Amino acid sequence: MDMGLIPTLFKNFFSKPMTVSFPDESIPIPNEYRGEHQYDIDKCISCGLCSKICPNRAIEMVEAPEALKDDYPKRYPKIDIGKCCFCGLCQDICPTNALTLGKNVFLSTFDSSTVIKYPITKKEE
Amino acid sequence: MIDQLSPSPDSKEYNFYFGPAHAGSGNFGVKLIIEGEKVVRARSDPGYLHRGFEKLMEYRMPLQNAVLSDRICILESLNWNLIHAEAVDELMNIEVPERARYIRVIMAELSRIQSHIIWFGVFSKATGFDTGFKVAFGYRDYILDLFEMITGGRVYPAGYICPGGVRRDLPENAPDRIRKVLNKMDEMIDLEQLENSTLHSRTKGIGVLKLEDAIRLGATGPVIRGSGMRTDVRKDDPYEVYDRFDFDVPVRKEGDAYARYQIGIEELRESVKIIKQALKDLPDGDAIAPEFKKPRLNAKIPEGEVYIRNEISRGEAGMYMVSDGGTNPYRVKIRGPSFLHMIPVLEYLFKGVQIADVPAIYWSLNICPADLDR
Repeated sequence: MDMGLIPTLFKNFFSKPMTVSFPDESIPIPNEYRGEHQYDIDKCISCGLCSKICPNRAIEMVEAPEALKDDYPKRYPKIDIGKCCFCGLCQDICPTNALTLGKNVFLSTFDSSTVIKYPITKKEE
Repeated sequence: MIDQLSPSPDSKEYNFYFGPAHAGSGNFGVKLIIEGEKVVRARSDPGYLHRGFEKLMEYRMPLQNAVLSDRICILESLNWNLIHAEAVDELMNIEVPERARYIRVIMAELSRIQSHIIWFGVFSKATGFDTGFKVAFGYRDYILDLFEMITGGRVYPAGYICPGGVRRDLPENAPDRIRKVLNKMDEMIDLEQLENSTLHSRTKGIGVLKLEDAIRLGATGPVIRGSGMRTDVRKDDPYEVYDRFDFDVPVRKEGDAYARYQIGIEELRESVKIIKQALKDLPDGDAIAPEFKKPRLNAKIPEGEVYIRNEISRGEAGMYMVSDGGTNPYRVKIRGPSFLHMIPVLEYLFKGVQIADVPAIYWSLNICPADLDR
């Protein structure tokens, strides 16, 4: 006799659900994940390759604020996460590993000014 | 042009829109002229998802285009990556390492599996079987987990298959995890084969496309195989390392929606078979040609033109690329398999059917508005 869906029904009674109950638990994020940019200004040599390779032109080389110009005289990448497609080409081309893609996936925001990542944060100023 | 099709005020016909903002149609509209319950004629209304890739690619370097090529079809981005990478490889005469070729095949087949699972999901939804939709998307996530682990993105691999090979080697535990997921896929295929009389009555004998019509209208892939022609680019004109694997090309003679749906399920089995063989023979070595290990900004594409065709889950996809010797391609032409399925084939099949059969026929063609409009 064809049992149809009955065996599946019984199996599903005793098996775990396919989903996890977010936010209490979440699926692990692998090491290769391409998330939010992590930028280390001290490693940066201001070569500008990241801004040239970016397919979406999301990276622009900008000068440091006036107060810090003595310490940081060159131009540094300003990243517009709103334009970014998280391809990771900037990470691949960076000769000193100053720019890498981290694991942060929570990038939604209500404040549009936080979408742009400046090379030097306000706190450091 | 669409307005010319409008019925005259004194006729019994009326307009019925399927899409473009309909959950069951994607970003694509079909204007149906209805009389009673019967579709008199239909007119496809594409263009809602046009993003201008052909022009965008003229302004970007091959590496950037690899990232862009993901988005030609959202549901099978890796296959489009592969087509673009092959076109550049051929123009630039790059020797792709053996390991990269195997990884490319594995990724392309995984992408085909998840695309076919989506097809099963939306086809189930179109025929009124909502559980099928949810189960399919649940199982698809196992493959997305693999993509996330290997490429770094769940849906968009960001040019993982790039000119010269693949951007990253497989992680160490990848082959084992792929095998585990393949076992899950076997489970999924078994679930897909549970059928009932509702499915049969909604799909058998519906939307029959005879072989001569399929050839005349330019159908490819599962659509023409459902009508009885044994054709598959992977067999007819093997690319990458497909000639080394043993797999069948499923064919059915009926040409109706049910035959096409069955082809989808049988192709899943063949893809699982190909991946298992590829994992067994996976050689060691580099995953990318040495000249592409580090992205280069000044890599010039030698002058020439090339046409690459691949079998993707929807049919035969192609890319024609011309270079004038600069860093960017001079012209790129993309052939999406859905173009002919969504315009001539769809309009032909909709003639004279009942309204209730429209979604079943629409989704039995395995179409994607993204690669139609591109």
